[in-house]
Amino acid sequence: MRPDIELALAARAENIAIVRHALGGLGDALAISPQKLDDIRIAVSEACANVVLHAYPPGSEGQMEISACTSEDELVVAVRDWGRGIRPRPDSPGLGLGLSMIAALAEEVQLGHDSEQHTEVRMTFSLNGSSRAKDGHGR
Amino acid sequence: MSGSAVEEPRHTAEMTARIRLVSGPMARPVLCRVVSMVLTRAEWPIDRLDDAMLACDALCAHAYDHASDGRITLEVCARDGTLELRVRELARDGAAALLRDARLPGVGNVLEHVAERLAIEPDEQSGGSQLVLVISSS
Repeated sequence: MRPDIELALAARAENIAIVRHALGGLGDALAISPQKLDDIRIAVSEACANVVLHAYPPGSEGQMEISACTSEDELVVAVRDWGRGIRPRPDSPGLGLGLSMIAALAEEVQLGHDSEQHTEVRMTFSLNGSSRAKDGHGR
Repeated sequence: MSGSAVEEPRHTAEMTARIRLVSGPMARPVLCRVVSMVLTRAEWPIDRLDDAMLACDALCAHAYDHASDGRITLEVCARDGTLELRVRELARDGAAALLRDARLPGVGNVLEHVAERLAIEPDEQSGGSQLVLVISSS
């Protein structure tokens, strides 16, 4: 499926804020509810933070790419990098909650590689129904 | 003081983003938010930030009419007090047509008013054309 939007940025922490703003624009265009948009922003931010923290060796800077495809009732957001892939990291500086949080907020999560062997986290969000319906923690 | 070299603040470093958009209604909200965020971080004055938003509005209003394949790529690069906006994947005569479309009755051409430099260049990747705007913060 051809994405409706692709955003490519340097994998820096401060650029996650740009991704969040771009998602806000997407939310405006698609009339996504504020609660659902919050969930999408949190999940996508976590995926981007994983790229910033883990994808590239310390001292080197790579790219991250965020793409979004929309259909009538769902939004699929993929976060890609050209780095080392997803693997266990015992010395991780984070709490290790990122992927769990993404899984809690998205209807479906796929970890793997895209057709060009980029590391990819693909998240599917339903645009119908309540926010955080999966775990019943709606606000 | 450790005596180590002072690192350049991030907001003065070059900031680039590439945005590829397929559907028209998404272009304006997404591009305007990305550009405003980039320029805010670069500490642009509000009047020039507003001018840059005008340019983004003008581009988004007509770019799809001149896209070569139903989508456009916008490259945003902020460095040294300038913003370079590059609209790519336009049809062969699309960049010139997009520039013409930015003309408003009684106002003139919005892009020519706002940009310090405007250029129409071939887009080698798409085989079409690209429109380049350079806007200064001062």
